[in-house]
Amino acid sequence: MSRKLSVALALVVTAAMLLSACATPTPQIVKETVVVTKEVVVTPTPVPKKVLRMNLGPGDVPTLDPSLATDVSSVQVIELTSVGLTRQNEETAAIEPGMAESWDISEDGKTYTFHLRKGIYWVKYDAAKGEVVQVLDCQGKPREVKAQDFWYGIIRTLKPQTASDYAYVLAFVIEGAEDFNKGVITDTAAVGVKVIDDYTLQITFKEPAAYNANIAGMWVAHAEPSWLIEGDECTEARGDKWTETGFFQGYGPYTLKEWVHEDHIVLVKNPFWPGIPSVPQAKIDEIVFRMLEDTAAFAEYEAGNLDVAGVPIGDIDRVKADPVLSKELVIGPVLCTYYYGFNTKAPVVNDVRVRRALSMAIDRKALVENVLKGGQEPAQWFCRPGLTGCPTPKDYPDLGVKYNPEEAKKLLDEYLKEKGLKPEDLDLTLMFNVGVGHEKIAQAIQQMWKEKLGINVKLASQEWKVYLKTIRDPKATPQIWRLGWCQDYPDANNFTREVFSFGGSANPAEGGGVNWKNDKFEELVRAAAKEMDPKKRVDLYAQAEQILVYEDAVIAPIYWYTRVTCTKPYVKRTFSILGGLEHIEKWDIAK
Amino acid sequence: MTRYIVRRFLWMLLVLFVVSLITFLLMHAVPGGPFDREKAVPPEILANLNAKYHLDEPLPKQYLRYLWDVFIPHISHIPPGTSLTDDHLINVKIGEKLWLKWMNFGPSYSSRSRTVNDYFRQQFPISAQLGTMALLVAVLIGIPLGILAALKQNTIWDYLGMGIAIFGVSVPVIVLGPILIWIFGVTLKWLPPTGWGAKPPFILGFIPSKLGPEFFKYAIMPSIALGLGQSALIARLTRASLLQVLREDYIRTARAKGLPERAVIFVHALKNSMIPVVTVLGPMFAALVTGTFVTETIFGIPGMGRYFVISITNRDYPLIMGTILLYAVILVLANLMVDITYAFLDPRIRLTD
Repeated sequence: MSRKLSVALALVVTAAMLLSACATPTPQIVKETVVVTKEVVVTPTPVPKKVLRMNLGPGDVPTLDPSLATDVSSVQVIELTSVGLTRQNEETAAIEPGMAESWDISEDGKTYTFHLRKGIYWVKYDAAKGEVVQVLDCQGKPREVKAQDFWYGIIRTLKPQTASDYAYVLAFVIEGAEDFNKGVITDTAAVGVKVIDDYTLQITFKEPAAYNANIAGMWVAHAEPSWLIEGDECTEARGDKWTETGFFQGYGPYTLKEWVHEDHIVLVKNPFWPGIPSVPQAKIDEIVFRMLEDTAAFAEYEAGNLDVAGVPIGDIDRVKADPVLSKELVIGPVLCTYYYGFNTKAPVVNDVRVRRALSMAIDRKALVENVLKGGQEPAQWFCRPGLTGCPTPKDYPDLGVKYNPEEAKKLLDEYLKEKGLKPEDLDLTLMFNVGVGHEKIAQAIQQMWKEKLGINVKLASQEWKVYLKTIRDPKATPQIWRLGWCQDYPDANNFTREVFSFGGSANPAEGGGVNWKNDKFEELVRAAAKEMDPKKRVDLYAQAEQILVYEDAVIAPIYWYTRVTCTKPYVKRTFSILGGLEHIEKWDIAK
Repeated sequence: MTRYIVRRFLWMLLVLFVVSLITFLLMHAVPGGPFDREKAVPPEILANLNAKYHLDEPLPKQYLRYLWDVFIPHISHIPPGTSLTDDHLINVKIGEKLWLKWMNFGPSYSSRSRTVNDYFRQQFPISAQLGTMALLVAVLIGIPLGILAALKQNTIWDYLGMGIAIFGVSVPVIVLGPILIWIFGVTLKWLPPTGWGAKPPFILGFIPSKLGPEFFKYAIMPSIALGLGQSALIARLTRASLLQVLREDYIRTARAKGLPERAVIFVHALKNSMIPVVTVLGPMFAALVTGTFVTETIFGIPGMGRYFVISITNRDYPLIMGTILLYAVILVLANLMVDITYAFLDPRIRLTD
């Protein structure tokens, strides 16, 4: 009997293991044509390798294809493995030459002729040799990065079949791009991107604008290896899989060594990158990007396994109080804004006095100090200081909206008297997407409105994708709704105009969002887009913001994002203000 | 027995069909689509994306297309591993540039260079490894603890054993995990705080290529954090069941016959008391092996657990269908194993036709 039992148990255990095997089918019998990366045993060299270990955030990087990237983590890796025509300085946000040494702008300001650098080569990591090698063409010569590669990259981004999310940025500014992207025209010659010769690329923009050069350098307009994606006589077409380990080709200061999905990405220094003023040769040999959640990453930082990590909200107080960690802590700006939008056609908030009162009754400083704790900056207007063209609190201290509960109460009383109502009679709902942070902020602000104005605001929350539909649905947009906006490209146009002008992201033409149109505002943002004088430009945006957040009080800006990071003392680094896009080629490790 | 198993397999196919249909209907009924973003996507881009993934077709056609891809084998010229839309789990080479392929679960909408099968091949084995080890921990802690508690009922051993069980069930992984990480990973630095010690490719599709200390040092903490909670249930069930069996007449007979106490308990009583335990092991195995969101996130384990949840918030339809069908298959198979085991544990149970 006991034998039967042991036989049965053995059977169960074996079956359980076989079960897992059945659930995952037996391996393919087919020999794959894929090069499998081999574990190469590297004998210790006298010079120790400099390895930087960082974290990209939980979950896999969605893609490393420049045409398809939308995520900050994807863009971070892409900006290290390839370089755009122009390059934005991560500390000053100034536009510097990238792969284009210089560019000429035509009289009418619409045509840019980019002169490419020579001697930059496509590279890949050869696992068998354990080093980075140049990519060879069918005649055995190294492939140089040419204007044709940039043309291919831009057109590929715009092709409807590629279904690129960010194609709209190029379609918005390049002549003919919008029609091509929508499939109205199919002839690439009608798109304003022309290859003049191997090292000269000409882009024709729809309008002269200060941000044209900026957009031309964005990741969606990086050079891409057509032979690898489409194939040619000596290269097998890899299609959508061209960014995988073993296939990836790039030309920047680093290149991809290994991408183990969900776990890590390893970049290795590209010795063939000559170094240019805006993108020097890398000093760090390898970068390992982990994919951990906040708290797990910080635990690794404290254990000494990560060199840079963001500080989770719950740990901020502890880190600030810790003698060692507080010295490694840096709070820096991130180009994002958190705000509450008003549906200006909904009851109660259709009156500007109510909106302005609600906005002025928010004690943003107290919110940052007691609820957020991340050194965030109270926002007086929408566009985030640091963006090109955006006013700064230093230069415009009284612009926009500030905490002023007495003035708020006065405004509200005026409204109530006119309507013959009491504050408790007002029926208001504030909606936000599910999230602990959003909930805490909403509760704090609900409290402020109760104390200072006597209004009872109801809170409601929805799941993210459902929420996105709700706030853009003309019939269902709540009176007050929460949203944030982060830069696509670091220019005030991307914020003030693209979000709130009529037809913009938070102001759809069909209704929903803020439901608002102001001709003066439209005039100002269009003029600001064309204005080339930086000072005048900032002034135009300042006027537009004043209308947006004060005169019409269409939104209540809450705070400007920051990030709280700890860096080990042996890492010599720069701090990017470009929404967490670090230029690691400028970093060094001094151990 | 064989007829029974065959019949169960046929039932499984029916269950899978119903599950797939209900899941398909539910996921399309929920508002919000895979390409909704914070920044409003221009309608033309949306149209491009929907056309690329056949989301503009009528729902019945989409569903039938899905069934066609998953259940019907195809013959294809495209080499395996090169295309996103033609990626199958099983590929048999039948000619020079000819393959017989089966089970295409579709591309993933969230990761633009991977298919659902890639998740099955690369992420699922890691979850299975973690799940199996957690189950082992649960069984190796739970059953002995339960037996001890039952044999020494109402003594210090009983209270201690059940105390550990209560602790295990009350302290969730989200608390126990970080505590373990803090003690052993950050402070003592004995074990790595996060990560997993094996990466694809795997032997037989799921066994790590190296089973040494490299692997186990990553696996210890998550397995214990996850297994301890599950062991509580097993301990209590074992205890209750064993107590009940020990009061049965045939146990009294065995003792009266003069059998040594050890034979009475371990040979006669234990086997019969295992039925409730084995019953829960089936679903527990399915739940653990398909990955656990919280554990994998805390320990940074690249498994499939997070995708059960994330696929829904992302509205990644093929991945939702794939993960749910995977769970259904494993659950049904696990329950089948449980039912077969019953026949061995209790001869009175016959697998009826």
